[in-house]
Amino acid sequence: MANHGGWAGKVLRIDLSTRRISTEDTIEKYKDYLGGTGIGYKVMWDEVPTGTKPFDPANKIVFGVGPLAGTGAPCNGRTAVTTLWPTCWPKPLVASGHMGGHFAAELKYAGFDAIIIEGKADRPVWLRVVDGKAEIKDARHLWGQGIRRTTVDINQQMGPESSVAAIGQSGENLVPMSVVINSYSHSAGGIGGVMGSKNLKAIGVRGTGSVRIAENKEEWEKVVKLHLSLLGSVNQHVVPNSPQPWAEYYSPTRWLGSKGRKWGSAEPNIETGACDPHNLNRIAYRTNNAAFFLGEKAWQYTVRGNGCSSCPIRCHTILKVPSVSSKYGIRAVGQNTCAGLVFGREFFKTFPDGPRGQTAIEACMVGMSLTDDLGIWENYGQMQRDFQQLYYSGAMKNKVGEDEFKGFSWDQYEKGDPTFLFELLPRIANKQGELATALGLGTGYLLERWGISEQDWQQNQKIAYWKMGHPRHHANEDAGQCGVIINTQYNRDSQCHSHVNFTRNGLPIKVQKQLAAEIWGSPDAVDAVAAYSPMNIYKAKMAKWSLLRKELHDSLSLCNWMGPWIASPLKERNYRGENSIESLLYSLATGDKKSRDELDEVAERIFLLHRALTIRDMGTKEMRTEHDTIPDWVFIDPTGKASFTAGTNRMDREDIKLAMDMYYEEMGWDKKSGSPTVAAYQRLRLGEVADGLTNRGLVP
Amino acid sequence: MDVNHIFSRREFILVSGAMVVAVSALEAWGAKEAPLIIMDQAKGLVIADPTKCVGCRRCELACSEFNDGKASPTIARIKVTRNLNFGPTGLYTGQRGQGAWGNGLVIQDVCKQCPHPVPCANACPNDAIVVSPPTNARVVDPNKCIGCKMCQRACPWEMMSFDSDTNKATKCFLCDGKPKCVEACPAEALSYVAWRDLTDKAPPRVAPTSVVSPDKAQTCNNCHKK
Ligand code: SF4
Ligand code: SF4
Repeated sequence: MANHGGWAGKVLRIDLSTRRISTEDTIEKYKDYLGGTGIGYKVMWDEVPTGTKPFDPANKIVFGVGPLAGTGAPCNGRTAVTTLWPTCWPKPLVASGHMGGHFAAELKYAGFDAIIIEGKADRPVWLRVVDGKAEIKDARHLWGQGIRRTTVDINQQMGPESSVAAIGQSGENLVPMSVVINSYSHSAGGIGGVMGSKNLKAIGVRGTGSVRIAENKEEWEKVVKLHLSLLGSVNQHVVPNSPQPWAEYYSPTRWLGSKGRKWGSAEPNIETGACDPHNLNRIAYRTNNAAFFLGEKAWQYTVRGNGCSSCPIRCHTILKVPSVSSKYGIRAVGQNTCAGLVFGREFFKTFPDGPRGQTAIEACMVGMSLTDDLGIWENYGQMQRDFQQLYYSGAMKNKVGEDEFKGFSWDQYEKGDPTFLFELLPRIANKQGELATALGLGTGYLLERWGISEQDWQQNQKIAYWKMGHPRHHANEDAGQCGVIINTQYNRDSQCHSHVNFTRNGLPIKVQKQLAAEIWGSPDAVDAVAAYSPMNIYKAKMAKWSLLRKELHDSLSLCNWMGPWIASPLKERNYRGENSIESLLYSLATGDKKSRDELDEVAERIFLLHRALTIRDMGTKEMRTEHDTIPDWVFIDPTGKASFTAGTNRMDREDIKLAMDMYYEEMGWDKKSGSPTVAAYQRLRLGEVADGLTNRGLVP
Repeated sequence: MDVNHIFSRREFILVSGAMVVAVSALEAWGAKEAPLIIMDQAKGLVIADPTKCVGCRRCELACSEFNDGKASPTIARIKVTRNLNFGPTGLYTGQRGQGAWGNGLVIQDVCKQCPHPVPCANACPNDAIVVSPPTNARVVDPNKCIGCKMCQRACPWEMMSFDSDTNKATKCFLCDGKPKCVEACPAEALSYVAWRDLTDKAPPRVAPTSVVSPDKAQTCNNCHKK
């Protein structure tokens, strides 16, 4: 171990049933899987038997980070949390949630690369981890408390620097749609109920140690600065969204910083300015996700950007909206990003002052105030889309029963009054009544409970539901066939950004095509969004590359929401990024020199292990027909436009069949079943996995 | 000799880069020779704007990685993490204070490169905290430091760090005039400026608990006569 930098070197294992605490050597046991989801899948494969249910004591939770977590590599703040997924329908399978914040770094400084939680405590406990030592502590006084009070309480015991990942009432009550949250607003969906089932209220981590950089520190500084120089804004959008003196292009990206746009609630307020990409001291002003998601009005409420340790992007925004204190009795200051930011707003169809008005912002503030304390998950907006669909179609009234239904203020709801959220959200966390209980199950189980066919949901583009209880996440609407392929591969929403962060980076398609030719072998790998051409092999290569980089990031601890970094805002580089930045960082930090291809191969091993776990626990090798499915709406255009015409995301069924063929071939898998062959496993040194599956008749 | 007078440079023996000065006339009136530490003023200083800080900790990481080859907020000589969540005093104010859990404001703690009497340097029994050109930053000489942590108890702003790998104290040395933290900040929240005295402006974090050795205290009396 002494030879390696990057890794902390130890994995912590906590058996809550026996209260046994032990450690393992990371390098010895997990180096071939890097960290993060890699360790997660490995533990699930080796240790959690098929047929285990998410809330069984036999299920495990792996909080995993990688060799880059805690270093100064940009954007390394995310912890991958792997477990059997409680909202995966009809049968729970392995998946991971990812929380940012400061937990990942603190875990490394405390001397651990991962925490494996197993068993079930006989009463509420929390886990205290400080500098190489762990202790199981009584949490009875915390049970029933929200995430905020729990965190402050534990911080008082452990000190203000500690990072606390806690569940709220929702997780305690075994609501499947629950999160674990650290650093105020950084959540991992789906995990809350699994922690609750183990009577584990929180994990507090404090580390005063360090993460060693194995190679020469001057080299490391150079590569970190190279990486910083390639950064765009959030989602690696490399073009600003308004004309800037330095910029050749502008397009509707998430790079919002500009002269005249101010953090209006900083005291005194702060101009974001032109944000010339060569000025690395202005990176944090490029992004304002509150302004992106809530509209222009959010600028006046912006206190500052916030986010994970080491990340200059700041995708979370801290807002101060004084009116919400008097109107709703909540704190005026709130923060989150993306789906968490708009959690409250998305339940409503309309607001009195429009979708980007003051009331919509207030609904966001109320939503964040409640859900990030109760610990409710929104499943990437699926909960709210389900809610609207069920309400406005009349289905909800029928299923819920007259008495309960009358107990809600539907007038207020229809008018867009955020006070409605105070009626709804606590009930979800507390499983009060049929409506709240059903919403807390997640889409798949909700539809099953209410006797609604999944197919109904798969017809409707607006509901954006994909399969297995989960929505699409950057599919054909962002990257044509490549996006469709990616959305078939996971047991929840795919959470992959490798592809969309390229197609939506704001560069003109001619520039994107030049870059694509260098990266995937042909300009034909990409089309302009909604101007798609038929399938070709380069799109399959891009899909494979995207999936492997996602797993690589989730295992190294780089943020796949910000990466990869294959394009840059730099004209003098012809907007090139660096396709090898991951292997450069990995090699210098750990001292284990690996080329880009070698590291991608490790990523492929990790991805394949996820596939093997899915096959094993589904008990079928017929992945193509039973797992990798595509909802009907993908092949429908509401206005009747034909596929491959400008202005439609509609895909063509035959063409998508070809896409899947090409993808399986590119992966070296069996085309007919969509399952990896024995040779595919062996190539990645997963011979034992192949043996296990062969014994069960699960290889083609 | 009137010990109350203002020293002129002529009366000091300047040891290389003005580390420790001894009063030339000392022996003449029979006192035991003890170093009278009067350091030249520092030339530069890192200052911070909390309203711009986005709490990314890149300053702490740059400080420790690029200087020491390891990522370690604990040894970083700029300190953000401790104020990140609840602010400098805020833990017991819960969500009513500063930091990400309060009003959002993150205070970055920086070394003031104190003027004489430099608390950390004065407290060191080995005179291991010395002036280092070209910036005249107060720096720990690792060859002299024995790891006793007296300096940590002396700094009113808790700006002394301790590296448990080397068993030595460490502090802000201004990176020889090109501070890594300033270069690393993505929010332009840090600046390297000409030195000015902030010691009477920044509220202390703690009441220092270190003791100045009697020898040294004696010499202090030479100037600071009651
Ligand atoms: S470490 Fe503290 S006492 Fe020493 S120079 Fe810096 S601020 Fe002053
Ligand atoms: S680098 Fe700048 S923005 Fe980040 S924590 Fe340090 S002072 Fe704050």
